[in-house]
Amino acid sequence: MRAFRRINPYWLLVLPFLAIVVVLYLGPIANILWLSVTEPRPGLGNYQKLFESDSLARILWTTLRVCVLTTIFSVIFGYILAYVVIHAIGSQSRWMLKLILISFWISVLVRTFAWLMLLGHNGVVNNALLSIGLISEPVPFMRNEIGVLIGMVQYMIPYAVLPLLTNMQGLDQRVMNASRSLGASNAQTFWRVYFPLTKPGIVAACLLVFILSLGFYVTPAILGGGKVLMIAEYVSVQLLVTLRWGLAAMLATLLLVGVLVLLFIMNRFMKLSTIYGGAGR
Amino acid sequence: MQDNQFMKETVYEAALNFKRGKLDRRSFLVLCGLAGVATAAVSVGDAHAAADQIVLWNWGGSSEQCHGAAIGEPFTAATGIPLKFDTSGPLQGKIKEMVNSGNVTADICDADAFDAIALGDAGFLTPIDYGVVSKDKVLKGFAWEFGVSVIFYGYAFMYDTEAFGDAPPADWKDFFDTAKFPGKRSLYKWANGAIEGALLADGVSKDDLYPCDVPRALEKIKSIKDDSLYWGSGSEAHDMIVNGEVALGMVWQNRGKAIEEDTNGRYKLVMNEAIAMPGAYIVLRDNPAGAEAAMKFIATAQSVKAQLGLLDCLGMTPSNPEAFPDIPANMLDYAITSSKNIDKVVFNDPKWWAEHGGDTVNEYLDAIS
Repeated sequence: MRAFRRINPYWLLVLPFLAIVVVLYLGPIANILWLSVTEPRPGLGNYQKLFESDSLARILWTTLRVCVLTTIFSVIFGYILAYVVIHAIGSQSRWMLKLILISFWISVLVRTFAWLMLLGHNGVVNNALLSIGLISEPVPFMRNEIGVLIGMVQYMIPYAVLPLLTNMQGLDQRVMNASRSLGASNAQTFWRVYFPLTKPGIVAACLLVFILSLGFYVTPAILGGGKVLMIAEYVSVQLLVTLRWGLAAMLATLLLVGVLVLLFIMNRFMKLSTIYGGAGR
Repeated sequence: MQDNQFMKETVYEAALNFKRGKLDRRSFLVLCGLAGVATAAVSVGDAHAAADQIVLWNWGGSSEQCHGAAIGEPFTAATGIPLKFDTSGPLQGKIKEMVNSGNVTADICDADAFDAIALGDAGFLTPIDYGVVSKDKVLKGFAWEFGVSVIFYGYAFMYDTEAFGDAPPADWKDFFDTAKFPGKRSLYKWANGAIEGALLADGVSKDDLYPCDVPRALEKIKSIKDDSLYWGSGSEAHDMIVNGEVALGMVWQNRGKAIEEDTNGRYKLVMNEAIAMPGAYIVLRDNPAGAEAAMKFIATAQSVKAQLGLLDCLGMTPSNPEAFPDIPANMLDYAITSSKNIDKVVFNDPKWWAEHGGDTVNEYLDAIS
């Protein structure tokens, strides 16, 4: 009876959802883990490949490089955007937010093809530059790593803006005023007061963008011209074309573990619940 | 009366589910008892005959409309069974997953011959019944135990006539010669055709192509890597040429005519040394409509009329020799098995690809990325 009382009855309300999560989410994940050590034969052969195969190492390196660069650029641009939105006057700020949200809602496929039309070989930008005589032949913006980065950064900017915006909105403006009244210059106030206060927002934005970038498939596949092979596309090929399900499961596990480790490390440095708006005090 | 109709439908549905393995025998019999149907009347045999539709799993785009008109209409007229589509693309992994899950929702796949061999050997397919499907209506050597070639398509290339109009490239050797024919090229992303093209360019004769010397092919492909783009879908290959991104572009030959028209003749298809790919129809194991209906469907697709219909609508080339003489004059330049091209093309060896495809695709991806 005593033991029973210790369980908060509200858990009963959550129980059905918990059960659904376990069955529909953890079940398949366990299945993937299982595949990674049983296909094609039981053992750690798939994981061993990580250390033996140069091509896997190269794919992982490409993925990491593209994701880190995407994160850096998205968060820098996202920071500037969020800062401007916060400090613009009422109606302008609302309009900016609306535009960011609209781009947030447009499908990744549509945006990818839009980039091809804009920056492609025969795209608007190249044609314009050609016709005013600035260049003599089209600049290869697309079908390479630059193209992938442009497409991914643009897709990820709203994901960087939103956590930063929440963070900046929560700042007490009086702190900055105090800094100014104590004689700090604008730059000093920004770098020594404002910027440190937005660090949780920056970390949240980096995490969100980096983790989402890891699983990117459509944009690298189309804008990379087949030369920028990232892990998600490779997993898909192993699943659908070459039927190396064990290898695919191993790479999926690796991604999952990578993300969890990342969250764990971040959690050591700052409470994740504060980043995502929970009460951290 | 109403109730009667309802019970009849219930039993009919149950019979279909029983046949598909979704309903166990006992529940089925209980249902029959409830409905007052003598169980003998709804025997398993009857249930098997009750194929209510055939689902063709193909690649979407205009193939739905084309398969519907060329094969579906005559098939439904003859058997009363309507044709439905799953247009999500029957890749090997998806087929394996569907059969493994026990919830088979498609009957026939518009697949490749190497799929037929690889998946058939692994036990995912129903053998072709050559009592219904005719071996004489396929080019010799392109009917296998678990699949039969209904069409051919191929890997050919197109070139920019404005750049190379005076001395056009004529074979894969020219395609890989970046000194003589400068400019970007495009190749298929998943190795097929590119391996053969590279070997032919490197001086391997058509007859010695298989087994493919993959390292040699990859060396050749790497040698033009800086000048290459890679496409993953027919429409991507199409766009790369129409947008002028490449001077020489590998394409699926069935798109050649459309691209020539879209570029007002600026790009021209070269069929010499095209790699002819046997497209195979395969029947999934435990397919819902049963093997018999599926075989009849394939037999319908072999008819000369259906074959020419597919050529007209999709650009897919007939595999039935009876249809070869009837290939219309305006398609002679584009069809693989036309009198003009049949001796110039190289036929793909699906057995080699079934066995080595997985490794080759991975090595190829490693080489190009």
